[in-house]
Amino acid sequence: MMKSKSVLKTENLSVGYPGKTVLESVNLDFYSGEFVSLLGPNGVGKSTLLRTLSSLLSIRKGRVLVMGKSLDTIPAPELAKVMSVVLTHKAVPPLFQAYDFVAMGRYPHTRWTGRLDTEDDRVVMDALSMVRAQDLILRDMSTLSDGERQKILIARALAQEPEIILLDEPTMHLDLKHRMEIMSILKDMCRKKGICVVASLHDIEVASRVSDRVALIQNNTIARFGPPEDVLLEDTVSDLYDFGDAGFSRLLGNIEFRGNMEKGAVFVIGGMGSASVLYRLLSKKGYRVKTGVLFKNDVDYHVAKSLNINPLIENTLQPVSDHSIKSALSALQECDAVVDAGFEAADLNRGNLTLIDSAKQLGKPVFRLNGTPSNGIIRPEISMDMTASTESALVGLIERKMAEVS
Amino acid sequence: MTTPITSSALAPSTDYTIHRQLMWRRRTISYIFFGLVLLLILAANIMKGSVDIRFSELWTILASHDIESVNGFIIWKIRLPRAISAALGGGYLAIAGLLLQVYFRNPIVGPFILGISSGATLTVSFVMLTSLTLGMTALNPFMATLAAFVGAYGVMLVVISIAGRVKNAVTLLIVGLMMGYLCHAVTSILVAFAEKEKIKGFVLWQLGSFSGFRWSEIEILTLGGGLICVLVYALSKPLNAFLLGEDYAASMGVNIKVFRLLILLSSCALAGMITAMAGPVAFVGLAVPHMVRLAFGTSDNIILVPGCLLVGAVVTSLCDFIARMIFSPVELPISAITAFFGAPIVISLLMKRKVVL
Repeated sequence: MMKSKSVLKTENLSVGYPGKTVLESVNLDFYSGEFVSLLGPNGVGKSTLLRTLSSLLSIRKGRVLVMGKSLDTIPAPELAKVMSVVLTHKAVPPLFQAYDFVAMGRYPHTRWTGRLDTEDDRVVMDALSMVRAQDLILRDMSTLSDGERQKILIARALAQEPEIILLDEPTMHLDLKHRMEIMSILKDMCRKKGICVVASLHDIEVASRVSDRVALIQNNTIARFGPPEDVLLEDTVSDLYDFGDAGFSRLLGNIEFRGNMEKGAVFVIGGMGSASVLYRLLSKKGYRVKTGVLFKNDVDYHVAKSLNINPLIENTLQPVSDHSIKSALSALQECDAVVDAGFEAADLNRGNLTLIDSAKQLGKPVFRLNGTPSNGIIRPEISMDMTASTESALVGLIERKMAEVS
Repeated sequence: MTTPITSSALAPSTDYTIHRQLMWRRRTISYIFFGLVLLLILAANIMKGSVDIRFSELWTILASHDIESVNGFIIWKIRLPRAISAALGGGYLAIAGLLLQVYFRNPIVGPFILGISSGATLTVSFVMLTSLTLGMTALNPFMATLAAFVGAYGVMLVVISIAGRVKNAVTLLIVGLMMGYLCHAVTSILVAFAEKEKIKGFVLWQLGSFSGFRWSEIEILTLGGGLICVLVYALSKPLNAFLLGEDYAASMGVNIKVFRLLILLSSCALAGMITAMAGPVAFVGLAVPHMVRLAFGTSDNIILVPGCLLVGAVVTSLCDFIARMIFSPVELPISAITAFFGAPIVISLLMKRKVVL
């Protein structure tokens, strides 16, 4: 790991266009070998900030320091040797092979003819192998897929041999495989080459996992700047994106979509992760979900929380108490159906099994997901036609039965 | 550059070295091929006509600077200037078209898209159609040249002064188109009021011709145009950067404002020069850059600039040959032939989607 030095710094920077300031009081600093994500909803000014940092837009107010020097005093050809960009618009000239395209990145280093010497060729090949695109060198740019093209665009930026690479939405329009690949390539560039990568990203889940630091852009300024673990909290993220029907879980680092809860209520008896998928599916289908009794910090507990389901909880490593069962029962009474998520039953959560019996006595339809084989503990009987072995089959079953009832 | 294949581990880079050698060979062959074709067509243009001149006779006339004999007069005063000006004109128009296609990143842009030819047409129509020729019964060809010069470069100045203020290339393109419409509007008013006999001459001027070039004009063409071509060749590298768009070019260190000015100035100066002397010659500037891209298999402007000069010369010389010979002794306007060739080529290229810019 290289010793980190500040490569890019903004001091009280305002960015925008004549007559319209988009962001102000931007104070950021970026270090070599660091991955920084700019997060915020569309139109918040991420691109404007990146364009200002790369000198494509003029500074409205304040200063940008690149390697300690003020950005507006650095001649463009010099700047090109320390900073390169990957932009969103498609730059695909005709009859351009991938190799030649990457070689364009040598622009600041070649003489007036643009002829490549052996050193240039080495750097180009190096950049191509860094983005794992050696097999694309002879392909015409117009024949590349979006993901392949993005890799070549990044290789071009790398071939400039910069200290800083600024990327505007590098994973836009890409499928999951390529999104992951691009992120891992960018991560590699930071680690192996000590390049400072600054990327505007949409994908908060990915950003929280790969970034060394994130900057949240909100209300015309940088709302927060720091390690994602400190910055990406449940409420800050929901606030940032103004999530109406989704929730962010800091612990799981992901976003869950909440349903519209227009259908009936379903009580899920789960735990130990047995019910997480069911929660998601039932919410998606529009059911109001209640659940219990879960141990605090069970996976199911966190998924339920981010889906806005308030689970009935028991303190960790204590047997499920009669009191909890009682409150679970009162919640269960208000539900139209009950599901045994096939949780692993043991001494501590034996009480949950009695909930199934109570539900049957109350005349509620009880369904079961055939999950974990029981380990000697006998589960209450449920007729075969009320069970299913996958979550989707089970939810299908619930939908059918509920339709019959009403 | 002769790297033998030593190990398969090196496959990609070795592949590329081989590929580069193949491309280099292809380009060399293309240059030689078009060079030879150009020589052939030039010879044909000089020897064929209403009077055929044999090669041996041509040789003695050229060697002895004989302008006294009939054939000597034909060669030195008529055919040689015409052949040279057609070749130079075609080459320059192709380069002018290439520059604007790269700048606007648009495949259907030609050298006249910014209104150069319309400006020239407007001023020429003043001279040819109105009574501004007071006192001159017959039209003085020099007046038309001078007027076209003023018109072409006048429009160029307007467009370039606007170019400094617009941010976006597309805006400039639209400004150019509008300039063209404005000039055409005035021209059409003049045509409406013009005398019938004058209109035919004006229409023929609009279709261009390389006849009647004087040696003094050829000197201007060679010197002025040649200088601009050298400048354009020296700009090949930033021109290549422009292929990726203005933002990428700027991020690689190109001074966009200066470079934009240089591209527009060079393109307009070349196109204006030809328009003033030969009239608006259609399609060469639009179609030839595409042909060169395909023939040389590249978008690299350091190869395309000389390629356009060469292929533009070949195509225009050939078209001029056909224009002179096909209905001899009636001579067709050059634009009729270039459009005849150019339009189908452009259509088929775009249909195959081989040259999407």
